[in-house]
Amino acid sequence: MNVHELPLILFTVLAQMSVGAFVALGVVQVVGRLRYGKAAVDEIADPSLYAIGPVLVLGLMASMLHLGNPFNALNTFRHLDSSWLSREIVFGIAFSGLGFLFAALQFLRWGSPALRQALAALTAVVGLGLVWVMSMVYASLPTVPAWNTWATPAQFFLTTFLLGALAVGAAFMGVIMWRRQGLARRFAWVERLAPVRWLLSLRRPEEPPPEAAAAGDAGRRELVEASLRWVATASILLLGVQLVVIVLQQRDLAADPGMPSASVAAYGTAWFVARLVLLVLGAGLLGLTLYRMVADHRSALLVATVATAAFATVLASEIIGRSLFYDSMARIGM
Amino acid sequence: MSDNLGFYLDQSVCTGCKACQIACKDKHDLPVGVTWRRVVEYTGGTWQQDGDTMVPNVFSYYTSIACNHCEDPICVAVCPTTAMHKREDGTVAVDPDKCVGCRYCEWACPYSAPQYNPELGHMTKCDLCADYRSEGKNPACVEACPSRALDWGPIDELRAKYGTVDAVEPLPDPSITRPHLVITPHRDAQPTGSGTGEIANPTEI
Ligand code: SF4
Ligand code: SF4
Repeated sequence: MNVHELPLILFTVLAQMSVGAFVALGVVQVVGRLRYGKAAVDEIADPSLYAIGPVLVLGLMASMLHLGNPFNALNTFRHLDSSWLSREIVFGIAFSGLGFLFAALQFLRWGSPALRQALAALTAVVGLGLVWVMSMVYASLPTVPAWNTWATPAQFFLTTFLLGALAVGAAFMGVIMWRRQGLARRFAWVERLAPVRWLLSLRRPEEPPPEAAAAGDAGRRELVEASLRWVATASILLLGVQLVVIVLQQRDLAADPGMPSASVAAYGTAWFVARLVLLVLGAGLLGLTLYRMVADHRSALLVATVATAAFATVLASEIIGRSLFYDSMARIGM
Repeated sequence: MSDNLGFYLDQSVCTGCKACQIACKDKHDLPVGVTWRRVVEYTGGTWQQDGDTMVPNVFSYYTSIACNHCEDPICVAVCPTTAMHKREDGTVAVDPDKCVGCRYCEWACPYSAPQYNPELGHMTKCDLCADYRSEGKNPACVEACPSRALDWGPIDELRAKYGTVDAVEPLPDPSITRPHLVITPHRDAQPTGSGTGEIANPTEI
């Protein structure tokens, strides 16, 4: 494992996961709303949306650790016309800013639903832009052949969608379990804290009167089950694509006579095997298990455990994979 | 950029003694691990049949490189802060008041010229001894070389005097950054991209 680049490993993986989760939530919103109604979807999706915030903040903080002199960080906007790193920082800030704005409006129920939806769409587009720009920071370097390939953006986007989908699956089950355990009641004191009370007082009442009751437990359950089936299917499909990309990338790496031997050597390690095993285990086997369990209407606790395990396993695989990506950094020349 | 300064190296007389490297380190008070001028040893060889015997056919030569103050400096292009910049005289320098120490230039430069100084928290590199030059003196490395293998000056003058070779192993394809560098190649010098040898002292550069 590349401990040296840990800040960048965490930053890139967590930021990509945030973008992926935001996009996945958007898909659930758009598709789920038609069948299950807005209130039912909001009830499950909103807490998951708020969970992205801390993850993203963690990632952004990690990225600052990478800098030798963070006090000069404002200078990083100066070279937008030439440096992909400048662009990465602008997109990173834009995505977090828009994401927080959207989460706040959604929480307070400010602005019309159409406005919020437009903001969410914009945030998702900027987020996908962030993943692209992030990949170009590496893929655009002609002096690092292991990075200077189509496989870099491909891998970054696969990380985004795979982790995003699985994170949403785990978060939905988290929300369900939270309700099951009656934790909301046990943490009721939080709502009595002054700042929280103040925030809640700013909240506008639901415009169409709450139809949550109409959706009911059955509706909510159906929605979560449909989402999890979708998550499991996506993770199995993305695993297939991921494996093809990995094979092609390794083939190109081995075939290029100008490739520094250190880049090839980085992937000839037990870590690479571990990454592949965890990937197949998490996205493939656990994904399949998740699908079966949901189809068989198994207990929520069981489904929650499998969903979380699939997410954690793939997260571990992606972190190792990103670490290998940094290990494979070797320049041409001297 | 009237001057377009650069370096010249006579590979055929460089003995790999590293006097230039040490003179640079001393002049700029560089800490351990920060080496603005580096001497790389490129080594390789094959077997050759001579009658009934196989005889070794080996080569080894040295290349002393600081920063080439390139025409298309990739370090400047990738730097997010514009701390890495090209100056009037054609040299490429770091502005420590702007640098965030992201080390992106270090990833990008195929000559390992930008070097991070952890004590200062920012990037540092060869400035062709700007202070010495302003006093009319030669850069420390050029002065120190016992073989008189180094020279410096406006790249057009260097090219007129010494030729235009800059593509020998282990240097990268010069079209990437268009280095202000002229080399008189060693008799065994391998053209860039031939991959016939390897860097024998990777930890020293
Ligand atoms: S040698 Fe490297 S650091 Fe120096 S100007 Fe060229 S690209 Fe920049
Ligand atoms: S380390 Fe400094 S000089 Fe190098 S790219 Fe980053 S900001 Fe620019």
